[in-house]
Amino acid sequence: MKYYKSYGIAFLVPILLIVGIFYGMLIWDFAAAFTSWQGLQPTWEFVGFSNFSRLFELERFWINVRNNLLWLVFFIVPTALGGFVLAYFLSNLGRAENVFWKIFLFPMALSFVVTGTLWAWMYDPSSGVINTILGGIGINTSRLGWIADPKIAVYCMILSAFWQYLGFSLVLYLGAIKGLPSEMIEAAKVDGASRFKILFRIIFPNIAHATLICTTMLAITTLKVFDLVWIMTRGGPGVSTEVLPYLMYRLTFESRDFGMGAATSIVMLIFSAAIVIPYSLWMLGKWVRA
Amino acid sequence: MKDKHFVIASGIIISILAVVWMLPVYALITTSLKTQQEVAMQDYLRLPQEPRLSNFVEAFDALKVGLRNSVIISLSATFLCVLIGSLAGYSLTGFGFRFATPLFFFIVVVTFLPYHVILIPITQFLNTLNLINTYSGLILIYVILNAPMATLITGTFFMKMPPELEEAALLDGCKPLTFYRKILIPVSLPGLISATILVFVQIYNEFLLGIVLTRGPDVKPVMPFLAELKGTQIAQWHIQMAGALITSAIPVIVFIFLGRYFISGLMAGYGKG
Repeated sequence: MKYYKSYGIAFLVPILLIVGIFYGMLIWDFAAAFTSWQGLQPTWEFVGFSNFSRLFELERFWINVRNNLLWLVFFIVPTALGGFVLAYFLSNLGRAENVFWKIFLFPMALSFVVTGTLWAWMYDPSSGVINTILGGIGINTSRLGWIADPKIAVYCMILSAFWQYLGFSLVLYLGAIKGLPSEMIEAAKVDGASRFKILFRIIFPNIAHATLICTTMLAITTLKVFDLVWIMTRGGPGVSTEVLPYLMYRLTFESRDFGMGAATSIVMLIFSAAIVIPYSLWMLGKWVRA
Repeated sequence: MKDKHFVIASGIIISILAVVWMLPVYALITTSLKTQQEVAMQDYLRLPQEPRLSNFVEAFDALKVGLRNSVIISLSATFLCVLIGSLAGYSLTGFGFRFATPLFFFIVVVTFLPYHVILIPITQFLNTLNLINTYSGLILIYVILNAPMATLITGTFFMKMPPELEEAALLDGCKPLTFYRKILIPVSLPGLISATILVFVQIYNEFLLGIVLTRGPDVKPVMPFLAELKGTQIAQWHIQMAGALITSAIPVIVFIFLGRYFISGLMAGYGKG
């Protein structure tokens, strides 16, 4: 509608304001990371990289980074791969598929707060569901502390997020597999390819876009797991389950060290931008072609 | 392996997993209906002898202020997000602007950046506007953080509209606002429903902003209330689980009845539409 361009501009004003505020906040954050701001009001006294160097000296910071990397690997790979294989099984089941995807996907509608409440109980060492069931079949559970055991607490937490997100990757892959031309798979069958080969040599390479979406979205999720950590362990035992957003929260709103909190935000921003910007470029490419 | 055997094997594996997936939910529901004595027996897989609804009364009492706040905040913020997003989606897809492409890129980036990276400026922003601990402050922030997602989803749906529809409307002298109200919105209703559901569930389920931007219970959303309930009712699993059920009722009902839209929204928002 080229005669009405002024309308088009008017329709854009609110989102332009919003996007402008968002980027303004990013810049503000960046500036604050270089100030000595502590306490309630911003001071805008620039101190160079000292917030970052203080941050990098903290052992706690590196435990946080390590935990974020653990999330990245042990959350994304099983969730994506598990969803892919399940989707393949499910794509062979015909109409029954409609019941199953809902069972696996519904945890996605839950809040991390609900998931955390539920799984903190599942994992409770003395009266939790898991130890009670294991005890019932005669397993000695006195040494199974789950989220109370600093060595495995992170993995337990990742498992509860896996429970919540498996359905997401399942549904994503199911859509992609069903979108493949059936001749492609039939032809491979005629050639005598095994199911395993069909799955990983033919289906998997042809739905790379689903893998891209899935791994990117799961990676972004790992940078947002604040709620689950807060609900299940408050970062404990010790700081063994803390992740960067949690450290940022503690530094900012509990220690009132805004400069260091902002510096932590910038570290998170670098992590997320490394994931989000390439992905946005990919989406942009699809948009331009459409 | 023969096809038939493979289908049976897949069915068995999927069924077992589905049972495992539902097990926590089964334990959650049955426990929420038990008495404290029954819970203390730790026989979590057994059905309650006599369903006890008073757990729900107790949990609801602790959560009702939060539920009210969450409904007010999420509904208003969702409405504004979808309104702003659909207007922007229309503008980006329907007018052939040359700057639409770079703008789209900037919108996608803010859609996917975790808002945690700007948590500090968000609090300062609301502080400056004197909107900490107000409904309008929370709504404002939720709109800023979710309108980009609504733009992406609605824009993706609008792109699928046949251009002839718009040309015909133009020939009939239909102005953009009329076209938006009378044609675009009704025709892309599924897209709008998807965007609404996704944004609503996201806002309703949010926790961190709820604790950072409020003081005291007056406008605090429900998820922080549930976290408090968990903190105060230590090892009172029946009350905790009743509370978890009450707070998830709204998104789960939405999911059960409108699950298809939930998925198509996810797919459109993530670039698969």
